[in-house]
Amino acid sequence: MSDSKKIGDKELAAISASVIIFGGVMFHWVAEMISTVELLEMAYGTAKLFNNPLVF
Amino acid sequence: MINELLLQFGQWMEAQQYSQMLVAGYYSYSWLEATHVLTLMVSIGSLFIIDFRMLGWILPNVSASTIADRLHKPMMIGFAVMFITGFLLVYAKPVETIQSLWFRIKMILLVLAFINAWVFNAKMKAADGSWNNDSVAPRGLRTGAILSLVLWCGVVTMGRYIPYDWADCDKTQNPTILWAAGCVDQLKVL
Amino acid sequence: MFNTILSQYKATLSVFIVLLVIVVLELLQVRAAIYPSLLPAFQWLKNSTPLGYIGTTYGSIYATVQAMHLLTMGTLGGLVLATDLRLLGVMFRTTPSEVISNGTHKAFKVTLIAAVLTGIFCAAGVADKVYYMPVFWVKMLALAAGAAFVFLIKQPLLSSKPHSEINPWIIRGMAITSILVWFTVAASGRWIGFS
Repeated sequence: MSDSKKIGDKELAAISASVIIFGGVMFHWVAEMISTVELLEMAYGTAKLFNNPLVF
Repeated sequence: MINELLLQFGQWMEAQQYSQMLVAGYYSYSWLEATHVLTLMVSIGSLFIIDFRMLGWILPNVSASTIADRLHKPMMIGFAVMFITGFLLVYAKPVETIQSLWFRIKMILLVLAFINAWVFNAKMKAADGSWNNDSVAPRGLRTGAILSLVLWCGVVTMGRYIPYDWADCDKTQNPTILWAAGCVDQLKVL
Repeated sequence: MFNTILSQYKATLSVFIVLLVIVVLELLQVRAAIYPSLLPAFQWLKNSTPLGYIGTTYGSIYATVQAMHLLTMGTLGGLVLATDLRLLGVMFRTTPSEVISNGTHKAFKVTLIAAVLTGIFCAAGVADKVYYMPVFWVKMLALAAGAAFVFLIKQPLLSSKPHSEINPWIIRGMAITSILVWFTVAASGRWIGFS
């Protein structure tokens, strides 16, 4: 790697912070998706987006 | 007469199966509304950056036509999504929305905002980039930018008022409000 | 040698120390212990302050401030997208990324302050309700993380040297993280409205 693109303190902090925050955010959204699918399955038996309870 | 026609159209839409499905679904209406509101960041976000540049509040070193050109596509995509989701929101609850005073004012402001954008674009083309690298646009374009900001703030605010029942047909007896909101049945009773 | 590392890698060490503190506090269940003591503060905000009083009594003012909150969020979103999409090389490719990121930072600060102030008013009106909502706390966490990331990590790095001297993958990583965290703030906020 050229001297001008060396990984200094600020760069390392940026990598670490990005990985931690990205990981946290992705964990949150995956957990949300899982709980949404579970809720839809509880309500309708399947995880369908459009459901009309009147149809049952 | 227009109010009667609009009410009939709303009632026809409400009778459609897909309209009922959108409202009855556990998450469908919420996700539609969330998409509509979150897309504000793309549509209004892009538009406000263009307007702020015209007023010299942001990125004064960047040529104004560059900003307007580059943000045009994301802005248009954002507005396309807003229109589609907005139409579906009306389709899901047609009578309630068509008879909402705030929705009607929102539509009027929307039309005015688009007329303003049309005039603004024409003025920009006529100015032909003569002021492009100035930090602040000429007066006519600045007026257009301020008008744009005011009108779009009005559109968003009226949109926020729609869920509230302050001027609902069954909550008011003021004939002007009832007429403006198209409350045909309640007007007949008065 | 240890002293050299400490002095040369202050920012990196700070990030890991903050992470360590958060993990330790979670393991010791400090959050669960503090949570009940926050309820009186939220109740005070709603019942005893002018913000809470105006928010609960005048629905039209509350709705108008909510609309202002939405507008600041829209503007914030636009600024974040313009800056971060430039950093990703998707937009404004003919304009130097330094110009875009430095030119939008002041507007970002002003808009964020406006968003926080309108947000405090909105929260005050329903403080006793949002206290119990996990999605509200997610939003606050994302907001804190996003603000700390932008003001303490991203902007200091981006304004310290020409972007051509920074590893492009680091720039892209920061841009994606920034977009995701601010999207989380906005989306959680919307979900508060549904709850």
